[in-house]
Amino acid sequence: MTITFRNIHKAFGPKKVLQGVSFTVRDGECFFIVGASGVGKSVLIKHLVGLLRPDDGDIFLDDTEVSRLTEREFYEVRKKCAMVFQSSTLFDSMTCEQNVALPLRKHMGLTMKDALTEARERLSQVHMSHFATAYPAEIGDGMRKRVAIARALTLKPSYVLFDEPTTSLDPVSARRTDVMIRELCDQFGVTSIVVSHDLVSIFGIADRIAMLYQGNVRLLGTREDFKNTDDPVVRQFMSGEAEGPMQV
Amino acid sequence: MNAALNIPYRMGAALLLIADQTGGIAIMAGQVVRRLVPPRIDRYELFRNAYRMGVQSVPIIAATAGFTGALMVIQGAPIVERYNARNIIGWSAMFTTFRELGPLLIALMFNGRVGANNTAELGTMVVTEQIDGLRALAIDPITYLVVPRYLSIAIMMTALVIIGDFVAILGAMGMAWGILDVWPRQFYYSAMPMLQTWDFSVGVIKGFFYGNMIALTSCYFGLSTRGGAPGVGRSVNASVVAAASGVFIVDYLSTFILH
Repeated sequence: MTITFRNIHKAFGPKKVLQGVSFTVRDGECFFIVGASGVGKSVLIKHLVGLLRPDDGDIFLDDTEVSRLTEREFYEVRKKCAMVFQSSTLFDSMTCEQNVALPLRKHMGLTMKDALTEARERLSQVHMSHFATAYPAEIGDGMRKRVAIARALTLKPSYVLFDEPTTSLDPVSARRTDVMIRELCDQFGVTSIVVSHDLVSIFGIADRIAMLYQGNVRLLGTREDFKNTDDPVVRQFMSGEAEGPMQV
Repeated sequence: MNAALNIPYRMGAALLLIADQTGGIAIMAGQVVRRLVPPRIDRYELFRNAYRMGVQSVPIIAATAGFTGALMVIQGAPIVERYNARNIIGWSAMFTTFRELGPLLIALMFNGRVGANNTAELGTMVVTEQIDGLRALAIDPITYLVVPRYLSIAIMMTALVIIGDFVAILGAMGMAWGILDVWPRQFYYSAMPMLQTWDFSVGVIKGFFYGNMIALTSCYFGLSTRGGAPGVGRSVNASVVAAASGVFIVDYLSTFILH
């Protein structure tokens, strides 16, 4: 049960975003992808669920090559590989509980009534049961993100992709989210890939980290490897200094 | 570019754009039909859309139809008075409203209210990644979003034409009574011998065709939206213009076929 990116290339017009990215994510691992804004972190994980297709290269999920699947074939991949977007992507026209109930209705065959009951239960797990009947526009960013996480986990996926899950959250909510991601890995064996800039998260819960830089993996290693690296680009990113060799 | 080549270049580009959009709408029609055989419809979404698109449109459509019926009488009143032809005012108002002006004006109003709203909603869902979010949940956006909207718009447009026709009759009767002193009973019985069921049916069939045009066009432009909030604005604009143009083309063709 691994995820392997092999020599992934992706360009948008003349802009080459990914230029031969390769790495493997192990089973049950909490794997972080870090790097400067616009380096292609979100682009990379969107390839895994078929929201983008690579120009070249292969992606293996459970030893199955997925990058050439059709849209219809990707639906089975998406059921076991959930994604939490940076912008939450909750549906504005639905309440929080209706958002969480949607995949339950569609994939588990529940009636609306049963799905809503189940959805309230799922919302209570992310401390959002008091806002079950609120619309996404009526709650804050952090709350929306928690609802999005509850929705993504409804189908009990084996893999979860988190796109900047702690961005725009207050420190307490951010750490709670970290705990939740870590628990998913430790208690339920879920493999998590987390795109993040949040150094506290990275050094708090990551098993391994890959840093993308100029379209490729600059450093792949554990938290200790990142703390002890001599690479000036990685050190500048980790220290957040304005001056240095890093080109953005 | 050479000024002499500029005009044909722009015309060619415009033709290519129209061909691209027409092809896109045709492909969307094919995708919808594929999902209707056998039917895969989210009933909750279908009823929700039918209510907000159809039921909530009744007041504005009724107002449009009422004024249309009344206007038919106002336009015909001088001729009726000049030739003392009060016995044809009912027929002329109802024939024109049923066959042509009722469905057409209702479609244009419906396009402005529902088509534009539908494009804006789908376009916003695209630019805020809600469509990607749906795909990531392994839910097909065409099945879940487009099919219920297509059915709601096509069915409710047809229903609104029927409702509008009756309101138009009331508007025309009221105006005929007010300015020509033609009593409603006289209005009604002057029209009935000359009106045929087919006159009424033509308008309803046209309404269904217009509904199809508005549904497919608004969904296509909504899902084709690119470029954030300005892109949503451009899509709504293009959708309203394209659907209105499509309605007139369908009207022209269907008038020949259903004559």
